Amino acid sequence: MTSDWLQLLTLDLAVAGIAGLVLLGDAVLPGHGRVWGRLTAVLLAAVLGASFVLDVSGSTPHGAYVSDAWVLFFQRVFLCAALLAVLGALDWLEARAPLRQAEYYALLLFSVVGMMILPGARDWTLLVVSFELMGVPLYVLSAWAKNDGPADRPKLAAEAGLKLFVTGTASSALTFFGLALILGFTESTLISAVPTGALPPLAGVGLLLVVAGFGFKVGAVPFHMWVADTYQGAPTPFVAFLSVAPKAGGLAALSVVLLSGWARQSAVWEPAVLLLSVSSMLVGNFFALPQTDARRLLGFSGIAQIGYVLVALCTHTEFGVAMALFFIATYVFTNLGAFLVVHAAAEQSGGHTLVRLAGLSRRSPFLGAALLVFLLSLAGIPFVAGFWAKLFVFLAGYRAGLVWPVVLGVGLAVVGLFYYLGVARSTFMSEGESSAPLHAGVALRAAIALCLAAVVGIGLWPAPLLQGATRAARALGTVPGASATR
Amino acid sequence: MRLTEVLLLATLLFSIGLYGVLTRRHAVALLLSIELMANAANVVFVAFATLRGGPGEALVLFALVVTVSEVAVGLALVMLLYRRHGDTVLDLAREARH
Repeated sequence: MTSDWLQLLTLDLAVAGIAGLVLLGDAVLPGHGRVWGRLTAVLLAAVLGASFVLDVSGSTPHGAYVSDAWVLFFQRVFLCAALLAVLGALDWLEARAPLRQAEYYALLLFSVVGMMILPGARDWTLLVVSFELMGVPLYVLSAWAKNDGPADRPKLAAEAGLKLFVTGTASSALTFFGLALILGFTESTLISAVPTGALPPLAGVGLLLVVAGFGFKVGAVPFHMWVADTYQGAPTPFVAFLSVAPKAGGLAALSVVLLSGWARQSAVWEPAVLLLSVSSMLVGNFFALPQTDARRLLGFSGIAQIGYVLVALCTHTEFGVAMALFFIATYVFTNLGAFLVVHAAAEQSGGHTLVRLAGLSRRSPFLGAALLVFLLSLAGIPFVAGFWAKLFVFLAGYRAGLVWPVVLGVGLAVVGLFYYLGVARSTFMSEGESSAPLHAGVALRAAIALCLAAVVGIGLWPAPLLQGATRAARALGTVPGASATR
Repeated sequence: MRLTEVLLLATLLFSIGLYGVLTRRHAVALLLSIELMANAANVVFVAFATLRGGPGEALVLFALVVTVSEVAVGLALVMLLYRRHGDTVLDLAREARH
């Protein structure tokens, strides 16, 4: 019996095993820092490959955890993000913190384990604990660069970590408070145990508090105040991961709670999520316009992107969920790649301000071209991945009758063109302060090339990812408890 | 009704904690405020479980463990800030903007 449901967690346990191996290995054989990074990358790729071969579908006896196409879709996204983040961080860790490499990978992987359990959790306990497992290592990692940064502002790393910590723990307290109110009116801790009939007002308040708590993690307005400051202070290769994977995790948690569990109470949460979505699109796009630091700009652009995804979530149709999944998968590759390019450029130009990015294409044609593609994808220009993602999300919203949020979203996407293309223009047209060629490490270039290949590949041939997303959305829809709504 | 009173108490605790998180700039005071918020949630869990039955009581243990692990990390971050800067006041408006 035990082994029956334990095999559902094969991939999660494999990643936890890698983390333990790296951590113990470094303790037993100290001084081989870089080896652990390479080992992590190879093993993560192996786990990613195994996810296509192994059959791990099923559910646990009491329905606390299920593993199906929905879970697998998210797990692959998280594994890709972790692999790219490890590759992107290899050279930086070797250069800046050679004695603290294994811990970095181990913490990153522990966070990934939390993310991988998250989409399959169908019990409140498992959901909130895996959510915290995802969150707590991120606080440590964002304060990683103890000795980094310009000499005049040396304490940014600790500030970044504390800012993420304070908002993160305050949001988990919100989640717990909301959960306490919800569980007062339900029979069990299963998420699908929704009070029947009219929702008691206190349980409704509880649900909104839970949504607010998850909203912090995805960085939706008005819970976005940590985003820009943390992105600016935390090490850039880690921000590349932080800006994508926890957002996908938060989206998974929101979808599980709102769509598989509480879909029949959508009258309570839909206005709230729509409000988050619209305000995220507005604030993200307009606050990105005046930014002069590439990381802050990408931070606000990420807030705007989350706004677009939440439109698709509000439709609470299978089509909408599938489009949200497609969007978040393309966003992972695009934003990770963009941050890695910014990191590669900043490592040798001495800063992350947009001025330092000027003339990038002349200093390194590869980095310049890659950044251009990522920016075009974020802006939603045809024939790169982001175009389809935006199109599908807006289509889903339009079909579900959310006309005015879609119209607003399209209008704001045009505003987005200004700052995305502004950066692209300065990297290609302007003269930089220096014209010395840029050399990024092999691993970093490989990570950027993989992101580039994914973004261009999905742009030219979106069908496979689209099918995967549709299958995943269908699997979520068939969970007991959601069927009553359709 | 007793449940109402306990819920009011918990809401009060939670609000004090939230107010502290939003206004305090001293890192230790921030940690204390977060603890208040988390404990308010635990009060609600226990109140519902004892007065109305239901599954909430077990959740308190999970909530406690999660909060403790969070605060352990938080204290480490406060130590890092103190070593770097000599005090534990977060002045984000001054430091992190441009």
